[in-house]
Formats: sequence, C-alpha cells, structure tokens
Amino acid sequence: MAANMSMGEAHRLIADYITRISDAVISQDEESLTPLLSVSSSSYLLVSLADALSVFQDWSRLLKQADRGVQIGEVVVHLLKSIQSFRLSRFVDAYNALEKSSNAFLQEFRNWDSAWALRAIYVVAYEIRILAEMADRELSALGKNPEKLKCAGSFLMKVFGALAGKGPKRVGALYVTCQLFKVYFKLGTVHLCRSVIRSIETARIFDFEEFPIRDKVTYMYYTGRLEVYNENFLPADQKLTYALKYCRSESEVNIRMILKYLIPVKLSLGILPSMWLLEKYNLLEYANVVQALKQGDLRLLRRALEEYEDRFLRSGVYLVIEKLELQVYQRLVKKIYIIQKQKDPTKAHQVKLDVIIKALKWLEMDMDVDEVECIISILIYKNLMKGYFAHKSKVVVLSKQGPFPSLNESTSNAQEIIL
Amino acid sequence: MSTRGGGGRSEFRRGRRGSWSGSGVDAERVFEIPVSSSGQSDHLPEMLSDSFVPIVGTCPDMCPENERIRRERLRDLSIFERLDGNPRKTSSAIAVKKFCRTLSSMHSQMSEVRPFSVLQKSFKYLFDLLQSSEQPFEAVHAFVSDRLRSIRQDLSMQRIHNDQVIIMYEEMVKFHIISHQKLLRCREESTSLVYLNMEQLVKILTSLYDMYSIERQSNEISLNQGEFYSFYVLLCLGRNNQKAMGDSLSSWFRNLPFHVLQTREMCFARRVLRYFQMGNYVQFFRMIAISASFLQLCLIESIVNEVRTNALRCVNSSGHKLQPYPLIHLSKLLMVDMEDLESICNLCSFKITPDKACGKLLPTKQIDFCQPKEGFPQYNFVGSERLQRWQDLMSASGNLFHFFE
Repeated sequence: MAANMSMGEAHRLIADYITRISDAVISQDEESLTPLLSVSSSSYLLVSLADALSVFQDWSRLLKQADRGVQIGEVVVHLLKSIQSFRLSRFVDAYNALEKSSNAFLQEFRNWDSAWALRAIYVVAYEIRILAEMADRELSALGKNPEKLKCAGSFLMKVFGALAGKGPKRVGALYVTCQLFKVYFKLGTVHLCRSVIRSIETARIFDFEEFPIRDKVTYMYYTGRLEVYNENFLPADQKLTYALKYCRSESEVNIRMILKYLIPVKLSLGILPSMWLLEKYNLLEYANVVQALKQGDLRLLRRALEEYEDRFLRSGVYLVIEKLELQVYQRLVKKIYIIQKQKDPTKAHQVKLDVIIKALKWLEMDMDVDEVECIISILIYKNLMKGYFAHKSKVVVLSKQGPFPSLNESTSNAQEIIL
Repeated sequence: MSTRGGGGRSEFRRGRRGSWSGSGVDAERVFEIPVSSSGQSDHLPEMLSDSFVPIVGTCPDMCPENERIRRERLRDLSIFERLDGNPRKTSSAIAVKKFCRTLSSMHSQMSEVRPFSVLQKSFKYLFDLLQSSEQPFEAVHAFVSDRLRSIRQDLSMQRIHNDQVIIMYEEMVKFHIISHQKLLRCREESTSLVYLNMEQLVKILTSLYDMYSIERQSNEISLNQGEFYSFYVLLCLGRNNQKAMGDSLSSWFRNLPFHVLQTREMCFARRVLRYFQMGNYVQFFRMIAISASFLQLCLIESIVNEVRTNALRCVNSSGHKLQPYPLIHLSKLLMVDMEDLESICNLCSFKITPDKACGKLLPTKQIDFCQPKEGFPQYNFVGSERLQRWQDLMSASGNLFHFFE
C-alpha cells in the first residue's frame, strides 16, 4: 500500500493529521483528539498515516510549519515516530517514542485546568501499556531483558499523580489505577498495588462513589483477587461479589474471570456453586472440587489438584483449594455419621476411628490411627465438628445436637449466585 | 546499594503484619513512588535501566589501598584484619573491603572497585577464614557477613553476571542459613544478630531468584534451583513470618515456572506448608524426618515448636474431658523428649498430672494456654536417625561450612 501512495498524497495525509491534532487541542475537542492517539488500533486513518510516513520520509519539517503556537510539537513528533515504528512492527522503538510523546502530552495535560482531555489521557495510558507489553515480547524474543512494562508502570504512576488532585480530573484516577493493576499483575509485582490502593481508599480527595461504574468493577475485581491471594475470604467475597453484581451481564468473558476467583472464595466459606454455573462459564476445573466437598471424597480433591495443578497455581488459587481438605474430611465423617444413624440412631454419634480409617482406605488413602486422631482433633479444635475424642477407646463422640456446624454460620443465609 | 531509602529497608519484619489499606496515611501525600520490583535485592535494580554504565574495577587487593590506610589511621580494623594483633596495622593479605552504605556507582573510583578475579579471591579467603578461625562465632559471622555484602556491592556496581556469580550467591545463602542456626545456639543474647542475618538471607535469596530467572531465559537451568526456591517457602512458615515476606505465597507461586514448582525440593516444601497450615503434626514430623535436607532443616527447626504447641492445643481442646492425654504418646509423634515436652507444656501454662501407669498426662479442657513471650529454647529431636544426625552436626563445635550437601 505504501508503494501506491504518491508523495503528494503522503504529504497531505501527514499535514492533515498534524492540523487535526493541533486543532483539537486548541479547541479542547476531546472527541476529535482521542482517535488520533490510538497508536495500536488498526484504524484506517492511522494505518494510512503510517504508510504516508514511510513514503514521505522528511515529514519532520512539516511540524515546524504547523506549529501555530500550541506547544504540542514534542507530542506530535514522537507520536508520529511511534505510529511509523508500530506499523513496521518495531515495537521497542514504537514504545520508546510513545513514552516521549506521552510525557510531553502529560506536561500539557497538567497545565489544562479543566478535565476536557480525560478520555485522551485514558487512551494514552492504555496505549502505553499495550505497546510496552508488545515491546517486552520483542525484547524477550531477542534474548534481552524485558523492561518496558516496568517503565510503563512508572509512567502510569506519573499520570496518576497528575489526576490525584482536588479538581475534576480526579475521577480519572481509578481508570489509571486499573491500568496499573494490569501492569503489576502482568509483571508479577502485585505488592506494588499497595500504594495506589492506599491512595484510592484513604485519600480524602477521592470519593469512591464518584468513579465511573466500569472502573469500579475492574478495581473490585483486582483488589478482590489480591484478597484471595492473601486468603482474606470475607473481603474477597465482598469485592468480587460487587464486581459480579455490577459487571455487564453480556460480558461473559469478564463474568468468567470474576467467577474464577469468586468460586474458590465461596467454597472456602462453605457455599457450593451448581454444576450449571460451572458448565455455563466453562469453569469445569472446579467440578471435581465441588463433588469432593459434597461427598467427602478426599481422593477426588487430590485428583483435581493434580489435574489442574498448573492452572490453579497460575491463577493463584491452588493454596485456597488445597485448604478445602479439612472441609472434605468433615464431610466424610458426617457421611459416616449419617450412615450409622440409619443403622442405629442411638449409637450413631459414636464414630470409631477404625471406621474412618476403613473409609479412607476405601478411598485409596492410607492413614494410620494417629493421623486420623490428629485430623479429628483439628476438626474439633476448629469448630468444624462438635464433640470430643477418647484416645484410649479410639472413638470420636459427637455432640448429640448439631455436631457438624456449617461454615457460613457467620453469614446469614446461603447466598445464591443470581445472574 | 542504598539508593532506595536508607537503612536497608527490610522486607523481613518479625512480628509485624503487613496490611492492605494502611492506616495513618498522610492525606497530602496522595501517592507514593513504588519501590522497584526487585526492591528487595541489593544486586539488580540498576541493571534494568538503560542509562546505567557499568564500571570495571581495577583494585588489585581484597581491600583498596586508600581504605586500608584510612582505616589504619582511624583504628577501624576488625580483629581479623590486625597484623599481629596491632589495631593500627593491617596488610593487603588480610584486609577486606568493608560494606559501605552510602556508596554509589557514580562516585566510585575504578581503583576502589575490585574486578571479578579479585572478588573471587576475596570470597574464597572469607570462606577459608570461616572454617579456620578460632574466634567466637558471632565475631566471625559479623565480619564475614559484612565483607560478603561488600563483595555483592562490587559485583552489582560492575553488573557482573554469570554462572559463577550464581554459585557465589548460593554459597552465601548456605552461609546465612547455617549461621541462623549457629547464632540461635550462641551462648549470649543474639536476637538482633539473628534478625540481621535473616534480613541478609532474604535479600540474597531475592537477588538469586532474579538471576535464576535471567538464566532461564538463556535456557540454562541451575540444578540447585529447586532447593534454593524451597527456602523461600520454608521462610514463610510460622506465625511471625507469614505476612512479613512481601508477596503472599500464592502470588509468589504464580511467577514461578511450573518445572521449578515440580522439583523434588519444592514439592517437599509445599507439602510441609500444607501440613503446617492444616496443623497436621503427625505428617509434618514424619515428612521432615524423612525428606528434609540439611539446609532445609536449619530453617524448619525454627518452627517445630509452633507445631508442637499447636498439637498440644488441639489435643487439649478436643480430648475427652475425663481422659487426660498420655504425653508419652504425643512426645513420640512430636519427636521430642518427654522432659522437653513437659517443658513446652510449662512454658505454655499447660498443667500436667503424673500417673503411675502411663507416665505424665495432659488434662484436657485447660483454658490457661498462653504463648511464651520469650519463645522456646531449642530442643533435641528424638526418634529419627536423620534428625539426630542433623543435630549432631549442628552441635559440633567445629565449623560446618564444609558440610554443604
């Protein structure tokens, strides 16, 4: 396509673009400005612009001609370089140029009192992150150290700083926060989220309710995930449920992402999702886990952990699922109790440790009486079972009333996930 | 390198829990500049910036001449650096460059920085000293620890990065792990030394992991990685340590390649973690007796009493109120002597009743439990040949540093 463009056409395209940007800035026209900044989009405008830049190599002098007193020369010259490099798949160059351009743009943005260019800043933030990711892939492929996403993180912190003031720009802070979350999660440096979270949640200038709902959902999703990593299940439940509730119901991909973390949280709180839910959102890795909890089948839980080990580790829920083991033991003992009750209700509350050992053997789990006693004592100690064990007679004596308290007794009713 | 916030901001804080939304935040300071991702490491942060220009040191001695002369004048010579015991005289054969907090690569002269060959020589000298010195361990440890830190500083300034550096770091990790145990066994009060030693250990491990991940990009895999990663998991065990190690373990695991998580040593550490968190004292002791390596035991030993205490609490709370629990049985499971188990009970305010037939008993449903403020003394392991062998090695008066497995 580049070959087909004439010098004159190229010249015109570039000059036109430059004029449009400076016009948009002068008249503070956000709608016109924003599409001009989407470097990574494949919009017809930018693709043909990129080709024009390759044809008309000497385009920098056009800038000098166009500079009508608006100080965006720096912004535009690097932006054009970025667009050109991007089209040539030179992503490291594209990122470097975009960073220079964006820094200059941010300088200007700081000087504008009103929040007219907020959406433009969103685009800048987004593009910086996307290009950084592509640049890092390029660096890795070349055997070099992928460092651009880190730089993007630093830049985004600067943007955050520009928005964290008393003026109208502050509603943009949550969007940038979410971009930062995405960067940190991708880099694996999630502890860096702490400082922005602290700013959003404790600074007086921010009112969480003022932020756009879309950003709030994203924010709750990421902070909910962090709570999952730290195994704070009640806050995790609260945040992820918020995200789920306000997430657009057509957005199945996003709902699935939220559920991927919400389900292990609910399981830890003793709430089981239905098979229907798992099937609808393709979260079948949890199917065996749910079954194991329903049936007290330890073997099934272990199997699920093995089968999906990599996936669970990657999403960060492995340790959470592993911890469900105690609930599975509880369920196993409960089943034995129920069976005994059917045979002889008067003696049902006495469960011999030998019977538990046999049940476990039947599940192909080899445990001796010491270990079973240990687990029983943990169950009682942690209030998953009411009763006591008698060491000498190797028996668990369950309380006659409510020997298996449910986990979510602190939360009022079992919640159903309604979609 | 002290360019990030003075005083070595430690990621290992005993007894302080990290929290998500910090309280008491200055509302004016709306945001903070985040610490760099390898903010815990002394070695690598500057490596990642384009503008860094590595210098090549030219100092031919273990300690630059200027520093030797200055420290002689100021009588700032360590006992190991004194020629014939003279506090004012040293020599190039025994002086080793000190760690300097305020040093920055921009202000260093080439002549003050040791090139790689000299660093290797210094490194070997320090480890030889470790094995041969007859000074009390705390003194040797303090000296070697500081001088090793300076070596890391020089390596970092010159951005030296190869598999020999990895080996050096691995040896340093071993040194700090064994030192941990040896310092715990020192006759004098050494809590601050133990703490500082841990701080260094965590820093070095973090740098080492950065190096491993860079090494992985060139498809070489160090054989030791499994064990060295497992140390991090083991360091996270324990009531005091869990929240103090920076990222949560779930988050830390996310970033590790699957094959690392699958190594024998990591699988071991993950199982120990599982038993520890569940409170499964039976399997915990069985596992460590069979599978823990020498170095892993050095770290695990610090938390065994927490497991034992927890076992006592479980049994106390869940046992039949009319049937006190036979301690002898528990002592076998907890791999500890009867007398020592009694000692633990006493420290936790658990009462014991004697019984002619079954020895000492723990009456159940006691409510007076409390965590002893001073912690527990170290008890010997019983019931496992491997554990007892580890113990014998640790208690031996000689130095252990040639016993690395």
